[in-house]
Amino acid sequence: MNRGLSILLFALSLIIFSGSAFAQKEYFNSHPALWKDADILIWSLDKEPAIDPKEFCLSLKRNNSGIGEPKCRLQGEWMRDTVAMRYASWLNANMDPALKAEYLRARHPAMQAKFQALEDQIVLFIAKNGSVVNVAWFDETASEPKSAGTIPLSPDKVSMGDEIANMFFDGTPKRRLSKEERKKMMTEPDEYFQEVPVFKMWAGLGMGYSQAQIPLTPDNWYSSHVNSQVRNYRITKDSVSLWNFIDDSDPYFTFYVGATWYDFIGLELSYHYAKHHMKTDPKDTVYQELDHWDFHQHEIGLSAMLSRNYKPLSWMDITPFLFVGFQYSFFVESIELNDDVKTPSKAYKARIKFEDAYKGALVGFGSHFIFLKHYGLGLRTGISSRGRNTYVDPSPDAAAESTIIGGSTIDWFIGAGLEYHLNLF
Amino acid sequence: MFRFLAIAVFVVCTLAGCSHNYHWSKSHPLYKKAPYGKLAVAGTNEAFVLTRSAWFAKKLGWNPDSIQLKATAFCEQVFLDEMRRAYPHFVSIPEQNFNHFPEESQKLDSRIFMKGRLPEQGVTVKDSAGEIQPYILIIHEFIVGTDLKRETYFDYALIHNESTDKKTSTHISAIVSYTLWDNEKQRPLFSAVDEVQRPITKPTPEDLEALVRSAVKQIRINLYGGVS
Repeated sequence: MNRGLSILLFALSLIIFSGSAFAQKEYFNSHPALWKDADILIWSLDKEPAIDPKEFCLSLKRNNSGIGEPKCRLQGEWMRDTVAMRYASWLNANMDPALKAEYLRARHPAMQAKFQALEDQIVLFIAKNGSVVNVAWFDETASEPKSAGTIPLSPDKVSMGDEIANMFFDGTPKRRLSKEERKKMMTEPDEYFQEVPVFKMWAGLGMGYSQAQIPLTPDNWYSSHVNSQVRNYRITKDSVSLWNFIDDSDPYFTFYVGATWYDFIGLELSYHYAKHHMKTDPKDTVYQELDHWDFHQHEIGLSAMLSRNYKPLSWMDITPFLFVGFQYSFFVESIELNDDVKTPSKAYKARIKFEDAYKGALVGFGSHFIFLKHYGLGLRTGISSRGRNTYVDPSPDAAAESTIIGGSTIDWFIGAGLEYHLNLF
Repeated sequence: MFRFLAIAVFVVCTLAGCSHNYHWSKSHPLYKKAPYGKLAVAGTNEAFVLTRSAWFAKKLGWNPDSIQLKATAFCEQVFLDEMRRAYPHFVSIPEQNFNHFPEESQKLDSRIFMKGRLPEQGVTVKDSAGEIQPYILIIHEFIVGTDLKRETYFDYALIHNESTDKKTSTHISAIVSYTLWDNEKQRPLFSAVDEVQRPITKPTPEDLEALVRSAVKQIRINLYGGVS
């Protein structure tokens, strides 16, 4: 007997529980913007609305702690308006689980104008319809409900408010914009369709690596230069490339500033520094007097670039570019004898000299990755060359002249830089 | 052989790609039951239009000056009589109870828009006895002519195409756009554009009458067929 009663009670509680859980019914919900400290206007057909605005505000705060201090009041203006009340009674008669929002659209222009004038207020349509209460959410973005559903009618206004709050107000509230911000938002173009900036500048600091061998080309093109060593301060097999004398694979550091017009055509000025060791032959005893023998490479280049801007995400720009330019290279010698050497050898005095300056070209491609419009990461790779500085008319005895040391020095480089971008116009 | 196949594929693709598949009717998701026995009609007083009136005047032997008035009144009367025969409780909504509603457009298809008066949401339309009829068939346009194609009237992409003047006509035709209106809940239950063709032997008023009758028949069939 006792057991039967408990089973009965259990079954009864199950029915009640499931009844209350499924009684409220959401027809559709497009998750409209929920504002923090929202202004909520209760629009009702009934003399005695199914919920109490003050209690509903408390329900909202209980249900969603992030909602701040919402203000709820009756939408008196619409409740005294013929067009609005006609639409309200129409909506109350037409709300049905089978109907999507488009079938509930207000057709009257005056009603549509009322919705558009809502600004950031939320209108909650709440109307009794037999044993249920129809609930629909309107905002300024459409003349149809953004969300709709029903809850069973009960005389307890507090629990009704709780149910409505639970059904529609679960989202993360957003901060409401001030009047000025709203005005600005209205005139602003969509972030994905913004006008292309007229003039964009950047400055970057980077480092990279360069070597004589261009990737995907055979080793034997370079082996004679790369493996060559300098004997007796000046003797090499070949002097056409500087890589016959100095190490080719070294890190470099760079600083650059650039600008583009219309994200399309640009100019970039760069400074490039690297340090290269002289490739002295260790078997040659003449170098025993040396402490070190290095060359500091300084390069100043100017390149033209073509680029195109892509915006895969609102906070990210990707600007791939091609560049071609020219550069001046200066190799500054840094040589020092050991402390105990009083007078250097004859060979030291007659050691190899590089040209004062080399002129060359650089060509390559890369991409800027710009985050939040300003903070960029630049990646680039390319080929640069160094040749003779000035063009000299070939003299009749040109064949007898010695070739210029390093007259054809080519390397491949790859680097990355941190950049700051600025839209000036 | 391959070339022929390629051309055939190209032709088929072009034809399939170009031809637009029109939807000439639209049902409300809650249109569950077609009106039976009881129906009201509105909008007939301004819906009827006769095209090629000179041709009709000549063929029917009616006065060209009054053919428009006479033919539209004739068609309206045939239409109402035919409706009255089909629905025992038939009511015609008086003009002044309906014609103050503004004209709105209804979309049937991505290219088909029909224009017509629809009652306001929340306002019921009363008949002359002051009663509220549950269903109102609103006739927006009833165009009578020869060899009419509904796409040239309702596909906005074709509306401004000039039709060539034809010397010989093979059919007299009618195009009807209408909406079945739920007067209690103020919603369009079923909207459609129908086209009826009737071969010409020797045009007589009886031909015109038969055309309107077949249009009514077509409307009634569609009202049943449109139930979702």
